[in-house]
Amino acid sequence: MNYFLYQGCSLEASGVHYMISLEAIGKVLGMTFKEIEDWNCCGASISYVGGNELSIEVLAARNMALAEAQGGMDILAPCSSCYIVLNKVNHKLQEKPELLAKVNEVLAEGNLHYSGKIKVRHLLDVLFNDVGVDKIKAAVKKPLQGLPVAGYVGCQTVRPYGEYDSVEKPVIQDKIIEALGAVAVPFPKKMRCCGSGLFLTELDYCYELARDILKDAVDNGGRIISTACPMCQMNLEAYQKRINKALGTNFKIPVVFITQLMAVAFGLSKKEAALDRLLISADPVLKAA
Amino acid sequence: MEQVVGPNYDPQANPRKAYDQSFAREVYQKVDAGDEIKMCMQCGVCAASCPLKDKMDLSPRKIFTLIRAGQREKVLSSQAIMLCTSCYSCKVRCPRKVPVVDVMHGLAHYALRQGYKPREETALFGDKFWGNIYRLGRIDEKDVANRYFFGHGIGAGIKMALDNRDMGLGMLLKKRMKLLPERPIKNIKALRKMLDKAKAMGKGGAA
Repeated sequence: MNYFLYQGCSLEASGVHYMISLEAIGKVLGMTFKEIEDWNCCGASISYVGGNELSIEVLAARNMALAEAQGGMDILAPCSSCYIVLNKVNHKLQEKPELLAKVNEVLAEGNLHYSGKIKVRHLLDVLFNDVGVDKIKAAVKKPLQGLPVAGYVGCQTVRPYGEYDSVEKPVIQDKIIEALGAVAVPFPKKMRCCGSGLFLTELDYCYELARDILKDAVDNGGRIISTACPMCQMNLEAYQKRINKALGTNFKIPVVFITQLMAVAFGLSKKEAALDRLLISADPVLKAA
Repeated sequence: MEQVVGPNYDPQANPRKAYDQSFAREVYQKVDAGDEIKMCMQCGVCAASCPLKDKMDLSPRKIFTLIRAGQREKVLSSQAIMLCTSCYSCKVRCPRKVPVVDVMHGLAHYALRQGYKPREETALFGDKFWGNIYRLGRIDEKDVANRYFFGHGIGAGIKMALDNRDMGLGMLLKKRMKLLPERPIKNIKALRKMLDKAKAMGKGGAA
């Protein structure tokens, strides 16, 4: 199981705990990761402000062209925004030969060429379909006995393509949560948007979106929220205090990456699980499990 | 709001406005993904699926019909075209397969190039975000945030930075912030050349 790990920009900073825990569980599960040399930002969902569609397609295509030249393995994108931007452009390039030709004309400025053969995949897809629930189960040393986890999926993890999970009722993250010995609580708002890249600039609106998700998680018995997207993790965790202040709520629910829960269940250290990087400590909840 | 569509619209009252196709043609030709709205049948599933629909002055469905009705000013100055969170709820449910997210982004990009500022904060942030990509090839989160704060002016920037200090401090203490400035990627010059060329070759209303 060899992959290009396209970590993207947030896994180098605000989502560094995703990266640390992913590398730790990758070792346990026999996955090897290689960085795409000289990768560039995917543009995320806000790039339309500065770039036209072709520029955004070129940003994504450059990464895939590099991956093709450096070995052609599947690109594994843990960040849902990276995943969806790369994947969306990849689909377009594979379906529209005239667009691929146009993009290649631009890539030629950097002596690059993309033939359209790379596959872009989300971490949840790889964990479920390549590694498999059985192997994950077998790696569990300290089961998260009965811990009620709200598996928040959000938007871009499965939408719009739904290539590996349902776009309306996804189940994969919950199956992984259950494989760790925890309980995946039913959580109707798991598919609603947290505000994504608009959070910082549309605080008032996004507070309400995040509040509704947090409330739904808590009301359904969730004691901890799990996610596989750095923007969801950031928005739901880092803004909790300010949401409480602005909307008169009283949330204090830890928000972790699914890879962090896996690392804990695999019996790895607190540092390998990157629990020390959380703003809202998960220790009390995890100790009780 | 002036009635421009729907059962109460009286084309006789203003016959020149009735079937003005010029703006629709402009959108089909110049806006990225603009021609996709030809498929829209006005069912409203996009609006019903949108997490920020309540905050929008016009729903995506209304935007599409206003384009057909030639309402250039209303569409390009609409807040809604910059309130799309890119969650793709609309896209997966659209029975006519309109990529609503791409159309909204295309319209926003075009409106900004035409001098409209539908949502100023997001426009400023997006501008700094793109600036990072062009300068470095990657995003340096703290740099984008600071440039966005201080893009409001020194005084307002200091206030915004202070308002966000507990979060910034939290990120710093938990080592979730890069301390050193991000360095450009190795082939940044080639990347810039590509972006310049794509800007010139693509749609979107670049001068």
